[in-house]
Amino acid sequence: MVHDMVSENAVIVFGRRGCCMSHVVKRLLLGLGVNPAVYEVEEKDEEGVARELEAIGGGGDNNKVQFPAVFIGGKLFGGLDRIMATHISGELVPILKQAGALWL
Amino acid sequence: MNSPSTQFVSSRRMGVYDPIQQINMWGDSLKSNVNLSASIPLIDEADIKFDSQSEDASHGILGTNIKYDQEASKPVDKIQRRLAQNREAARKSRLRKKAYVQQLESSRLKLMQLEQELERARQQGMYVAGGLDTNHLGFAGPINSGITAFEMEYGHWVEKQNSQILELRNALNSHIGDLELRILVDDMMNHYTEIFRMKSAAAKADVFYVMSGMWKTTAERFFLWIGGFRPSELLKVLLPLIEPLTEQQRLDVCNLGQSCQQAEDALSQGMEKLQQTLADSIAAGQLMEGSYIPQMATAIEKLEALVSFVNQADHLRKETLQQMSRILTIRQAARCLLALGEYFQRLRALSSLWSNRPREPA
Repeated sequence: MVHDMVSENAVIVFGRRGCCMSHVVKRLLLGLGVNPAVYEVEEKDEEGVARELEAIGGGGDNNKVQFPAVFIGGKLFGGLDRIMATHISGELVPILKQAGALWL
Repeated sequence: MNSPSTQFVSSRRMGVYDPIQQINMWGDSLKSNVNLSASIPLIDEADIKFDSQSEDASHGILGTNIKYDQEASKPVDKIQRRLAQNREAARKSRLRKKAYVQQLESSRLKLMQLEQELERARQQGMYVAGGLDTNHLGFAGPINSGITAFEMEYGHWVEKQNSQILELRNALNSHIGDLELRILVDDMMNHYTEIFRMKSAAAKADVFYVMSGMWKTTAERFFLWIGGFRPSELLKVLLPLIEPLTEQQRLDVCNLGQSCQQAEDALSQGMEKLQQTLADSIAAGQLMEGSYIPQMATAIEKLEALVSFVNQADHLRKETLQQMSRILTIRQAARCLLALGEYFQRLRALSSLWSNRPREPA
């Protein structure tokens, strides 16, 4: 099911229920005009979901999944750190457009 | 036998224990600690026993066993006993000295910490005498060593920052080459990376301390946003100072400002959510209930998220500085960093002037 969600959505955010950092990721993407899918993970399911997500991979060398985790275009993009860094450097918006998450 | 000189000779002969000399070494404050009354009778007693034997013994030689072996065995017993007493007295003396030194060391540490607190209070322009804000003057609980360490490191950081600013100003005025300028720029960028690293460690020690900007001066704290400066605000201040820019650069800086604003908004909204969930978890259950342990456990979990916020905000600041250095030429970047450094210097100066301004008599 997790696998389906990743492949069916241009952007999806996996985060712990009630986590404030997940909220930050969501607000940032919404502010850019993206409507991300959100999957709230229960504490008891955390490890299981993390391993499933790692299996999907596509994140290159650093495949370890930490929440919140963002998938763009079916591949693991990273956490809040990477979202922030790529947004500031101006790389995030083109990536989102390419994945079909953003239309001009 | 005249007692004073005999006493002097005897002390030298004993060699190990010289109470008069030691008292001079330790200073007057020790008088209360040293059990003088115990030591002096020891000497007098020893002197009385020894005097009768000393007529043939030569002066100026420290007491050795060799001399005394030639005497009859009865005095040898007494001498052995006296030597044992000497050793005991010396041992006690060493223990007392050790205790005194330890007392000095801990007093010194306490003094350092008090001086730091006082300096901080002075910077903040606060009145030391009581009042509502006594919490700001130090820590209600035990001194936090992580924070004490941070404050000392920060003092050095500011000093180094000031000297880097001076160097950069001189370099720009002297028209040095780009390569040398790049070194200075890289040094300053690394120095900012250093403060973010320090803050991260301090946040683990006491996140509220970092969040409230307690180490900063009053004027700096006025502009505080999640434990530091707001990148978009800073860009607005610096932009006119780095002209002339190319059209592409101006566009890039404008985009950077917008991205910062968006990232800051997202973080601010996250903070609001944190406040809300924290308030909810504390208020959970009837407010009238006597026991509130379960709420506190949840609340503490939530508060730990604050450390992440401080780290993310600093991450944003660092990325913004780096993007600026990518957009600008090396000379523009140098001017930008100089302006940034001077801006903070002026804020600190303002804080000082403010707290020292003459006030109307009541």
